[in-house]
Amino acid sequence: MPSLEKLAELQGHEDRVWCVSWHPTKPILATCSGDKTVRIWQNTNPQDDTQWQCIGVLEGGHKRTIRSVAWSPDGRQLATGSFDATTGIWERDEEETGEFECVATLEGHENETKSVAWSRSGALLATCSRDKSVWIWEVEDDSDFECLSVLQEHTQDVKMVVWHPSEELLASASYDDTIKIWRDDDDDWYCSDTLQGHASTVWAIDFDARGENLASVSADQTLKLWHCYQPGNPQLVPMVRRGEPVWKCIATVPNCHDRCIYSVSWSKRHGHIATAGADNTIRIFSVTESATAPAPAPESATTQQQQDQETIAHPGPYLTTSSQTMVTLAHGTSDINSVSWSPLAQHGDWLASGGDDGTVRIWRYKP
Amino acid sequence: MSTLINANPTIYESKASNVRVLRSDDDDDDAFDAIDSQEVFDLIRSISDPEHPLSLEQLNVTQLEHIQVDDDGNRVLVEFTPTIPHCSMATLIGLCIRVRLLRCLPSRFKVDISVRKGTHQSEHAVNKQLNDKERVAAALENSHLLEVVNQCLATAN
Repeated sequence: MPSLEKLAELQGHEDRVWCVSWHPTKPILATCSGDKTVRIWQNTNPQDDTQWQCIGVLEGGHKRTIRSVAWSPDGRQLATGSFDATTGIWERDEEETGEFECVATLEGHENETKSVAWSRSGALLATCSRDKSVWIWEVEDDSDFECLSVLQEHTQDVKMVVWHPSEELLASASYDDTIKIWRDDDDDWYCSDTLQGHASTVWAIDFDARGENLASVSADQTLKLWHCYQPGNPQLVPMVRRGEPVWKCIATVPNCHDRCIYSVSWSKRHGHIATAGADNTIRIFSVTESATAPAPAPESATTQQQQDQETIAHPGPYLTTSSQTMVTLAHGTSDINSVSWSPLAQHGDWLASGGDDGTVRIWRYKP
Repeated sequence: MSTLINANPTIYESKASNVRVLRSDDDDDDAFDAIDSQEVFDLIRSISDPEHPLSLEQLNVTQLEHIQVDDDGNRVLVEFTPTIPHCSMATLIGLCIRVRLLRCLPSRFKVDISVRKGTHQSEHAVNKQLNDKERVAAALENSHLLEVVNQCLATAN
């Protein structure tokens, strides 16, 4: 039986942990909290997965909750998004103190910044806010950031932004129950697609390794998978705009959790999806792809009906999720706000989680 | 406040049946104390209305019958009734109830708060906002708003 084994429980934050973010190349994790700090944790013994230590605390940069934290692709910088409406850029002072310092503060959002994300190349940074806007920043030399675009098509808070794993394409999830896909045409950013289907706030999204599929989780307690159909796709899905790909929902896992789902992570290493939320539970799904429609599972009539509807609604490819394992009370009776698979080749089975109990936990997935 | 949203609210008597009858083990600190709807009601009945010197119970905003507690499942559902369907204070009242329960109930409880079906014209929007933990967390970092909430909660006992 596949399982999730707890390796370590990291204590230090003095308020709920909102977001966990893995370093791109080292066994290091950054976490942020309502206590207005970011903590950096490191696996201190390569032979022992259970040995972790806090090696840094980033404080003083924000006046309110830090909602989101993200490493730049080269691992040199951290970006933080805070309820104080600013985005902080942090860098380790290699020569003198060895500590992380806030080297830039990006201002512009009218109120709470909810999420920050670096593009794959590190050349762009995206931020989003309760002010309903998504901002795209260009990263210049010397920690200089120039705002390229302010995107204002969501009708409510924007909860999360995530970049495509290889292209300069951005996805955003919102309190308006939709996901939007943003592309640029010669530095002119625009919304190329709006993904409708969730019945409530979309809290989190994540691409698969190739960026052909997107997973989304919502307060409607479902996990949805969306597929990107390219122009000329063999399934003959028509394009909305000439020459532009279009996204369609191709799978839904109803009642995936008992309460709001706050986080989803699609492993770029092994393709498993982790979800977590307010029902205190972490779930792991495997995803299999087939060219033909899978036979509906012989379950309740309603489930079968839903599956039939999904099957009719799209012509493939067919992604089937199957529940591998789940941990109830993963953070005691606390909500889990964030889960993230390690990007490291040798530690792709590590999953980090952060919860309302103020702890960070490291898990190992055993297939 | 210069103009009241609801200048002449109906005032209700506190019901005798809303008073808890003391049980033999009430003084025994070791007895397992399950949380019930009466206990939740007692926590919120005396919260002040944001615009009247009256309690939520006196205005019939909160009622014992509209509270559901599943002690084993760690869940609480509080439904409240705004005094008028276009009450602009509904979100604030809901926030006061949420903060009161956040401070007083054991943290194992998941609390849902909503306006009674059909009692507010923006029911869906109010409910969505009240149950969005991120918005609630951000609201409670707003010192002005927190002060207003604390004023309403000052009468809660």
